[in-house]
Amino acid sequence: MSKAVIEVSGLHKVYEGAVPVKAVNGIDLTITEGEFTALKGPSGCGKTTLLNLLGGLDQPSSGSILIDGTDITALSDNELIDFRLHNIGFVFQAYNLIPVLSATENVSFIMLLQDRPKEERLARAEQLLKAVGLEGKEDKRPGQLSGGQQQRVAVARALASKPKFVLADEPTANLDSESTAKLLDIMEQLNAQENMTFVFATHDDRVIAKAKRVVSISDGKVIDDTAE
Amino acid sequence: MLKLAWRNIWRNKGRSIITIAAVMFCVIFAVVLRSFQVGVWENMIHEIVGNNFGYLQIHEDGFWADQSLDRTMDLGAVNSEELLAVDGVDRLIPRMESFSLLYHGSNTKGSLVMGIDPAVELPGLQLDDILLEGRSFSRDDSVIVVSEGLAKYFNVGLGDTLLFMGQGYHGATAYGAFPIGGIARMTNPELNKQLVLMPFQKAQYMYNCTDRATTLVVAIEEDADYEAVGSALKGSSAEGLEILEWKELFPEIIQTIEVDMAGGRIFVTILYFIISFVLLGTVIMMVAERQREFGILVSIGMKKTKLAFVTLLENIMLIMGGAIVGMAVVKPVQFYFKYNPIDLSGQMKEAIEQYNFEPKLYTTTSFIINLNHGTIIFFIGVLVSLYAVVKIMKLNPIESMRS
Repeated sequence: MSKAVIEVSGLHKVYEGAVPVKAVNGIDLTITEGEFTALKGPSGCGKTTLLNLLGGLDQPSSGSILIDGTDITALSDNELIDFRLHNIGFVFQAYNLIPVLSATENVSFIMLLQDRPKEERLARAEQLLKAVGLEGKEDKRPGQLSGGQQQRVAVARALASKPKFVLADEPTANLDSESTAKLLDIMEQLNAQENMTFVFATHDDRVIAKAKRVVSISDGKVIDDTAE
Repeated sequence: MLKLAWRNIWRNKGRSIITIAAVMFCVIFAVVLRSFQVGVWENMIHEIVGNNFGYLQIHEDGFWADQSLDRTMDLGAVNSEELLAVDGVDRLIPRMESFSLLYHGSNTKGSLVMGIDPAVELPGLQLDDILLEGRSFSRDDSVIVVSEGLAKYFNVGLGDTLLFMGQGYHGATAYGAFPIGGIARMTNPELNKQLVLMPFQKAQYMYNCTDRATTLVVAIEEDADYEAVGSALKGSSAEGLEILEWKELFPEIIQTIEVDMAGGRIFVTILYFIISFVLLGTVIMMVAERQREFGILVSIGMKKTKLAFVTLLENIMLIMGGAIVGMAVVKPVQFYFKYNPIDLSGQMKEAIEQYNFEPKLYTTTSFIINLNHGTIIFFIGVLVSLYAVVKIMKLNPIESMRS
């Protein structure tokens, strides 16, 4: 049986205000190593909030999140940043690359933060960019790449730190069909070859169709959990 | 990190150029302002003190406070050899200085009389250099040289005689009549209005002070430090004598300088406030435009302290660049106005002359001013950049990414 990478229990996130909003309302979820999981649901259902909580970007109102056995809700701000650096890869909807760095530098930047040697950084960046089909574009800056290419650099960056899993928030939202297909193929391939765990928040049917497990969320609750 | 900071500088060229230019112009304005202020004083001290009165003077103990001819020193009792042996002392210049009431026709005027030996005098009293008409005098001459303003006041010219009436040593009456041999222009406006120069021995005789002098001006060697020479002289066996530095001789100059400098400091402080807000504006602009990026960097695992350091490094590079360029660009301006001072005219000239200052604006070329203001503005810039540091340390990655 595969090892649990993410274990969520009794998770709540309430945004206080004149009218409190229960963005996550009692979710229990376990994601094991190597899964290719899509969190689906309409806008405002709580999937991005859940992803932020899993990534340690936000603190839950109650409940626990164990990542590879570590309760990240108990970590301090600095410990969380460090934890993210070594354990979680992020792919954002708007790519979010550093505009002044080349593709290679964007990918190797996260390894620089991990204090890895320069040779290792460059070799892995080259290998990852090759893996996402960006051979020959290593020296291009984000502004010189198409949206699809930028998102592939973002995927390479997410994998560069050798994380335990990758969280992707609407990774295909800004891509055309061809770029989406290419990106999904690459992620599927990385999942198969490196046993990398992927968790997507999406309402893109093309992503959902590729997922091996689909968790449907509505009003902050899991309403369906289907595996292949 | 350095590479990232460097590249970030050039991602928004407009903002970077505004920051560099703001710092540069602030340094230039501050340095020009202070250079003129210090330059005018430096020149005035050089003219009045260095060229006329000397940086160090020796008197009979208590003379300067009393200014009485009864406290003149006996030159025969002064151990000149020992004083001249002090490192940095070039020569000793004897003077006989007092006041007299001058008469010509029905006009009278109280004037400063200075008995000098032009052969050994300081540059400001080298008569050949300052004479407008007539000639200098030698030791044995009986002619006097009057300042331009005094000649105008009495409406006298070469060959006219001025009568002197005053008090000499131990209550003796000091009187004399001397023909005018020359008319000179003194650079110091106050001296130019009232100075009479006469041969040293003639002044001794008139004031009944044979073999005595009011003052021994210590001419120091070029590049010698007058304070060190003064200390050495005080340490020598100058018993019964007072050795005074120019700051002790003319404390009013120091007070005037301090008042003027305080005014300048207020102006420069206002300038600093303006630059602080300009720089703060560029930092706020930078933080606002990169809020999202900061959020991403923290999300993917960049420690806030590291991010703050990179951002601070960017600002430091920009501010340092502006400060260095400003310090360098202003240097030729300082040199130009040092040797080509601005001549004041009209009411401004009259106002300046009322304070006995030369109506010319000089600059100083001292690099210390550039360094001081460059450094102050640099630190202001660093202080203002702490706004970005504070914002980063308080940053919430999700909110930042939504921005």
